Amino acid sequence: MVDVSRVQKELTECNRDSDVSGVSIALHDGGSTITHLTGTIAGPLDTPYQGGIFRIDIRLPGGYPFEPPKMQFITKVWHPNISSQNGAICLDILKDQWSPALTLKTALLSLQALLSTPAPDDPQDAVVAQQYLRDKSTFVNTARYWTEAYAKSDSTGMEEKVQKLVEMGFPEDMVRSALKSVNGDENMALEKLCSG
Amino acid sequence: MASEDRSGNRAPEIKEEAAAASAGAGFGDLEDPRFQCCVCLELLYKPIVIACGHMSCFWCVHHAMHNAQESHCAICRRPYNHFPSICPLLHHLLVKLEPVEYKKREKEVLELEKFMDAYSPQNIEFLNSKGNNYENGKDGDNKLEDGNTGFPGEVSVDDNTMNECSKKVKLEDVSCPLCKELLYQPAVLNCGHGDEALKCQVCGGLHPGSYPNVCLDLDHFLEEYFPAEHESRRKKLQSEITQCNPEGSSSGTSCSKDEMDKVSKGVTYGQKNLDLSNVHAGVGCDSCGVYPIRGERYKCKDCTEAIGFDLCGECYNTRSKLPGRFNQQHTSDHRMELDNSSLYDAFLRFQGIPGEGLHQLIVEEAFIGPGGMLHIIGDDHEMEYSDEEEEE
Repeated sequence: MVDVSRVQKELTECNRDSDVSGVSIALHDGGSTITHLTGTIAGPLDTPYQGGIFRIDIRLPGGYPFEPPKMQFITKVWHPNISSQNGAICLDILKDQWSPALTLKTALLSLQALLSTPAPDDPQDAVVAQQYLRDKSTFVNTARYWTEAYAKSDSTGMEEKVQKLVEMGFPEDMVRSALKSVNGDENMALEKLCSG
Repeated sequence: MASEDRSGNRAPEIKEEAAAASAGAGFGDLEDPRFQCCVCLELLYKPIVIACGHMSCFWCVHHAMHNAQESHCAICRRPYNHFPSICPLLHHLLVKLEPVEYKKREKEVLELEKFMDAYSPQNIEFLNSKGNNYENGKDGDNKLEDGNTGFPGEVSVDDNTMNECSKKVKLEDVSCPLCKELLYQPAVLNCGHGDEALKCQVCGGLHPGSYPNVCLDLDHFLEEYFPAEHESRRKKLQSEITQCNPEGSSSGTSCSKDEMDKVSKGVTYGQKNLDLSNVHAGVGCDSCGVYPIRGERYKCKDCTEAIGFDLCGECYNTRSKLPGRFNQQHTSDHRMELDNSSLYDAFLRFQGIPGEGLHQLIVEEAFIGPGGMLHIIGDDHEMEYSDEEEEE
C-alpha cells in the first residue's frame, strides 16, 4: 500500500521549483493512478545531453517509500549506465542503496547527476561503456546525436512527425496538440488520436 | 522573544505562530521543517530518535527496519539493531509546539492503526511533575508494572494533565532530568529518554551498543528557542566536555570512524549476519527492542493483541519488567513460552516446502533485496503478518 499522501506531497514539492532544478513529475499519461508516474529531467549543461528533455517511467511498488521506485528511461539515451535498448538504469540508490529518506525528486536529481558523470566501470549497457572507454569522441557524438534525435520535442523531427500523422488523415491542429501533450512521442500521439 | 517564552504565564503576548516561527529557520506551511519526518514527510508523530541522532515517526521507523537483518538509518545509514522507544520529551514538545497539526496526525495514525490492527503505545506520559526528581521517576516505573502501558517520561512539566494545553514550550519541558538545566546537546537512549549514561537514569533500561549521538535537530531547536540558557550551558560545559567525553558530544550525527569505515567498505551491507537460521524474522523484543530476535525467543501466551508480546532470551532471563513496545496489555503474570522456531521454519511448514531449498532462496533474496528490505510475506506490515503465521 503506497503512502498516497507522501507521494502527493512529493509531487507538489518537486514541481514547485522545477524551473530551477530541471526535474518534474506528473501522473503517467495524465492518468489517475498515483503509482504510475512520468518524470522529466533536463539534460545537464556541458554534456552531450544538454538541451534534451528526458522522460522517465516511474512505477511505485506497494512498499514505497520503504522500497525504491522503479525507474526506466522512456526517452532513448546513449549512456554507459542506461540501456540503449530498453532504458533500464544502473544506479545504486534505485537498488540496494535506497533509503526511505530519499524522494522521487532526489532520485531524478541523481539521474541527472548520472548523466553528467557516467560510471563506465559499472555499466548497464556494455556496448556503450566500451565505446565510452575506448573512443570517447565517438561516444560524445553518438550521445549528442541521440539527444538531438530523441530528446528534443521541438527539433526538426517534429515537423516530420506532424507530416506523417497528417498523412494518416488526422487534422493538423489535433496532431500538433496531441504531439505536444505527449512531449513529441509519435506512437503515443497516434494512440491518443485514435482513442479520440 | 525567548525571554517571554521563558516567563510562560505572562502569556497574552506574541502570537503562538510567531513564537513557533521564531524557532524555525525556514518554516514551510505550518511546521518547523526540523520536526518533519524524513520518511512520511509529515509532522513527526510519536517521535523516535535513533542512536545516530536522527528522528522519525514510530511507524516510519518500524516499517523501515529490516525484518531479518541489521537496519540502517534512513538518513545517515548508520546500522542499528534495536527498535527504540518513543521519546516522551519530544512527543510532549510537539504536542505543545504544534497542537493542531499533532492532533490531526494523531487521528490519521489511529485510523491507520485500526486498519493494521496494531497499535503504538497510546499513553505517553510525563511521570515527573514540577520539582520532582529522579526518585519519582522510579515511582513511575513501579506504576508501569501495574499494567500501565504508557512509557515513562523523565522531564518535569508544569502539569501532568496539561489542561492549559499551552502551545509554548517552557524551559522545564526541555530540561535534563538529571541536572535540571536546559538540555544541552541532548542524546536519546534506546528507551527514549534523553540522558547521558548508557543505563537510563530514568527508567533503568539499558542502552545497547555504543554511545548515542547528539540529536542535532533538537539541540538546534533549543538553541534558537532558548538562546540565553543555551549559551550559558555551552560556556559552562565547554571545558568539561573536552575532558570527560570528547567523543560522544562532538561527533554529532556523523558516524564514528569505525562505523564509517565499515559502511564505506560495504561490510555492513547485506554481507553481515548471513546466517539467518536463528533469526525470528519480523519479531522484535518488547523489552530491549532488538529486531529481529536472534536465537532464543519467548512468546507471551496470554497477550491477545495481533502484534504479540515477545522477549529475547536475554531479556527473559533478566526478568525485564518494561512495557511492550506497542500497545500490548502485557502484565508480569502472563505466561511466556519458549519459541525456538524461527520464521523460516514456520514459513516452510506453512508452505509445505522442504527445508533446504527455500533456505537457500531466502539467503539469496536477502542479498538482492532492494533497500535492505526482505519481502518474504509480500506486505508492508511484515511484523503483524509474520506473527499471525507463526501462530498458525
